[in-house]
Amino acid sequence: MTATPPIIARAQAKRRESLQDGTIESFTLLAHPLKEFGSQPRTIGMILLDSGKRVLAPLLVDAPMIGMHVHPRMRLSYATKEGLRVYEVAYEASALKPVAKEEERVFPGYILALTGPSGVGKSTVSRLLATMSAEYTEPVPILTTRSPKQGDEGEYVYVSKNEFDALRKQSKIVAMTEIPSHSEERFYGYRKDDIEAIWNKGKLPVVITEMHLLQGLASHFGRRSILSFGLLPPGRSKRTMLSHLLHRLRTRGRDTEEHIRDRMKNAERDLAFFKERSDLFDHIVVNEDLDSLMAILTKNVPGLSNG
Amino acid sequence: MQRAISLIGSGQTRFGEWWDKSLRDLMAEALDSALSASPATALDIDAVIVANMLGEFTNAQAHLGTLASALLPHRPPALRVEAACGSGSLAVHMACALLESNRAQSVLVLGVEKMTDASQEDIASALMAAADAELDRPSGITFPGIFGLIARRYMHEYGLTRDELSLVSAVHHMHGKENPYAQFRSAIPPETISKSPLIADPLRLLDCSPISDGAAALILSTKYQTPMRLLASQVASDTVSITERPSLTSFPATKEACEKALREAEISLDDVGAVETHDCFSIAALINLEDMGFANPGEAIRIYKDIHEGKSTMRLNRSGGLKACGHPVAATGIKQIIDVAKQLQAHEERYGIAHNFGGAGATCGVHVLASMP
Repeated sequence: MTATPPIIARAQAKRRESLQDGTIESFTLLAHPLKEFGSQPRTIGMILLDSGKRVLAPLLVDAPMIGMHVHPRMRLSYATKEGLRVYEVAYEASALKPVAKEEERVFPGYILALTGPSGVGKSTVSRLLATMSAEYTEPVPILTTRSPKQGDEGEYVYVSKNEFDALRKQSKIVAMTEIPSHSEERFYGYRKDDIEAIWNKGKLPVVITEMHLLQGLASHFGRRSILSFGLLPPGRSKRTMLSHLLHRLRTRGRDTEEHIRDRMKNAERDLAFFKERSDLFDHIVVNEDLDSLMAILTKNVPGLSNG
Repeated sequence: MQRAISLIGSGQTRFGEWWDKSLRDLMAEALDSALSASPATALDIDAVIVANMLGEFTNAQAHLGTLASALLPHRPPALRVEAACGSGSLAVHMACALLESNRAQSVLVLGVEKMTDASQEDIASALMAAADAELDRPSGITFPGIFGLIARRYMHEYGLTRDELSLVSAVHHMHGKENPYAQFRSAIPPETISKSPLIADPLRLLDCSPISDGAAALILSTKYQTPMRLLASQVASDTVSITERPSLTSFPATKEACEKALREAEISLDDVGAVETHDCFSIAALINLEDMGFANPGEAIRIYKDIHEGKSTMRLNRSGGLKACGHPVAATGIKQIIDVAKQLQAHEERYGIAHNFGGAGATCGVHVLASMP
């Protein structure tokens, strides 16, 4: 007794009518969703849409809360055995997304974005770029409310939560996120001024980033402003990729075991994100070894190959 | 009731996993025990009403009215009723209509479900046919998920804690231990319930009624009279999808059916000595008690706390409820009426209520029984 293609088609038409923002009224993490949706647990929310209608839909929110404001996104859900591709409307959090003003939507220049789970080698790549082509690229400092750690290499600007909130209210932060952590409140973001200063120097801003910040940048500056690379750890399966990351995190010795646990949890989500939001990446690259990775970057980033 | 309707005989199979029994075997077993307990003979049965939800899906069998009728020597007229988990009480409601209109003088009502032949994921999918195929199903949700949403919202509105919720199933299992027909006859402490595997956060495995095989039968008659009378039979409906309702934490169909049934029976809640309520999920039992009027919104957990601590003698789901007895979907509503009758007899109480619903409280049937020695 599964849904037939005509039922699905009518249901999808109804869904499209309700592509609008809403508020979470309730949610549940369902361990075993209906079989056609696969065997992964699914977070499903009851959402009160702005029109007053209610819908049940998957939530793409790490820590949903009743009352949280969400906005819709179409995504591929599954394919029926007849080959019909079933799309669904899922909802993601909209509370943390800074609002881009219309006049800022003019094309400002490129940003080179490197996205990947902790331990995949983003910082190493960024260091290499800084030495190889300092005259052409410059890393964008990350604003953070977390406390400084041994091993940080000047990539962070530390601010208090109050300062962070103040900047956010003044629309000086173009992308921000909160990384779930057991030990402290960790907000991260990029300042508009930092990025613009790099452009003004005629250089390419480089961001070492993660999924929420990447989405924030794409929605602020426009997707085409970002030359986006996704970095994957080597390995054929998710399990081997994750064990590679764990190995790298332990050997670099920057994090406590507790932080590593947090990072591994976030890494699993990052890996899923590559698949779900492939539209946000121009190139997805496996970091087998640094030389080949740098070769790929040099080939695909216009300024680097010239330099 | 426009006529005096008596419950003249009843019987059931034990609910559980019956690998060696077919749908027909289960029906025959419940039917035989109902007939042998009644003053009527098989030939007195004027009509058969079968309650069943999943026959086509789990047993490749439709046409269940006639299948049941053929178990009787004279093959009386028969029909089938389906209203998901509320099928049982709907079938009794239909029987009352036949008896009140004098179309029949003795009616056999038979609820049956054979669920364990199918895989759990297929059953979860089939049961979702009781929700809205176009509004609920496309999200991937299952019934545990729907009640997970309801439980989360209830906790948000009323501050119910996870550990408090565990008292509901703990009380039902405590009662089920004494019921020889229950699928699970063991007491389970609340801590074990809180720690059982997560099914649909915040609901855990031991908040959910099981998948079961089973049948229950009763014979209602205006021709034969016994001290066990059916005083009221009421049914109410709501939207099938929870998305079309203003509140997640109350089922208006329960309120309506219960109020009408009490009025029809001309009694108040204070007169009620035994209650069987539809605890398909632990959270449902709390909402039901509030909608029936036994507690104010958000306060039903007090009743379970009192029963658990031995401070209350309220006869609430003394059979073990759906949680401990098992829940062969369409047999449940009929089994509940049998259990209420048993408790009235055993404890010399006068009035009892059986409350049964289908979907997420979308169809509700409430019956009032009276023991009139």
